[in-house]
Amino acid sequence: MLKSWKLKEVVLMSLFSVVFGIVYLLFLHVGNIWAGFIGPIAYEWIFGIWFIVSIICMYIIRKPGAAVISETIAAAIEVLLGNAVGPRLILAGVIQGLGAEAAFAATRYRRFDVWVLMMAGVGASVFSFTYGYFLGGFTVFSTGYVLLMLSIRILSGAIIAGIGGKAVVDGLLSTGSLQGYAITRSKKGEARA
Amino acid sequence: MKSALHNMNPAAKFIVITICMLTMAFFFNPWTPLLMWIGVLFIQLLFSRIDWKLWILFMIPFFIMAFGYFWTTLVFAEDKSGPVVLSIWSINITEIQLNHALSISFRVLAFSGLSLLFALTTNPVSFILSLMQQLKLSPKIAYSILVGYQFLPVLKDEFVQIQQAHRLRGAMQAKSVFHRLFHMRKILLPMLAGAVRKAERAAFAMEARGFTGEKRKSFYKVFSVCRLDGYLVSLFMLLLVVSCMSALYMN
Repeated sequence: MLKSWKLKEVVLMSLFSVVFGIVYLLFLHVGNIWAGFIGPIAYEWIFGIWFIVSIICMYIIRKPGAAVISETIAAAIEVLLGNAVGPRLILAGVIQGLGAEAAFAATRYRRFDVWVLMMAGVGASVFSFTYGYFLGGFTVFSTGYVLLMLSIRILSGAIIAGIGGKAVVDGLLSTGSLQGYAITRSKKGEARA
Repeated sequence: MKSALHNMNPAAKFIVITICMLTMAFFFNPWTPLLMWIGVLFIQLLFSRIDWKLWILFMIPFFIMAFGYFWTTLVFAEDKSGPVVLSIWSINITEIQLNHALSISFRVLAFSGLSLLFALTTNPVSFILSLMQQLKLSPKIAYSILVGYQFLPVLKDEFVQIQQAHRLRGAMQAKSVFHRLFHMRKILLPMLAGAVRKAERAAFAMEARGFTGEKRKSFYKVFSVCRLDGYLVSLFMLLLVVSCMSALYMN
């Protein structure tokens, strides 16, 4: 799978992960403090922010695996930055990336419009919620509360990661710095060239 | 003795800690995570020379978080059966509810204890190198992660620079926290554009020096699994078994 990847694409994912790693850490602290007052539901509103790197990288690079690899790298870099959540973050990153990847794989990496990006956010939400449900012991919560958490997370994934990710990349595209990546070679979010 | 955890193979440490966390997810009694947390504390006391001030500083947010989990579990519990042990303002709290709430919040503490053990005793660069040598992580990814890691101070400086440039031109008017979070977007774009350029340059430099990304046999810095790792892994496994078994005897 990695054979078809250019080195500059992998390094790009890594550098994006560093930039977003800082953003992620910032939000983690906001979420942590908040969670002290309103419990685990505090993270759900801002959960989309943690999926954004996979959607941004896939939207730019458009190669199978871009979502999983970028989210995994982002998690690894977060661990390197001295994150107190630690090693299980890497596992969480792989699972979130797989969720986003599933949406792109379902279109066979042909469509990259805003709906698919939002679906990727939803996929990442569902996958990460399943993982969190198991590891966080959410089974002890009542069904209504769990469903509320899940729906807030899905909304957050679709809006922050899907629409927000697209907005960031479109802004970046207009700066002209993305020359030479798949996104500039294809028009209107269609097939990769 | 005091440096055993620092010298442990990072990949082995990573695996054993992940196993401990995943196993604990199956237990819904307060004793298993509590014993785990205390055990991890003792292991750190005996086999590491970490900065305990730093440890406490990192642990404070997790104590707050554990409290948040504690009361939400009490209020939104699924299983409300069993004898009532406590009642606050006409809200009855049953034994099962209390046990679940305690177990969830101790789980937060145990997870963070394990994570802090890893974070405070592991050198980030050796962790990635060890992942590449022991767990067959692709060198293309491993070295790219290290490149990103090395760029961190540069990006931090750039962040300050862009912020100052904005302030100089009077673009940074936002006072409230929410405005400031929204303002991040204006800083994010130039930083990402800079990151794209840096990535291209770094990749070009690596390729110019003969980096192909193929798997290699020999390394400049070699990491191996030795007897010390075996001892420490079995110590962790023993702790895991003891804390899981406690579920049977404590009830």
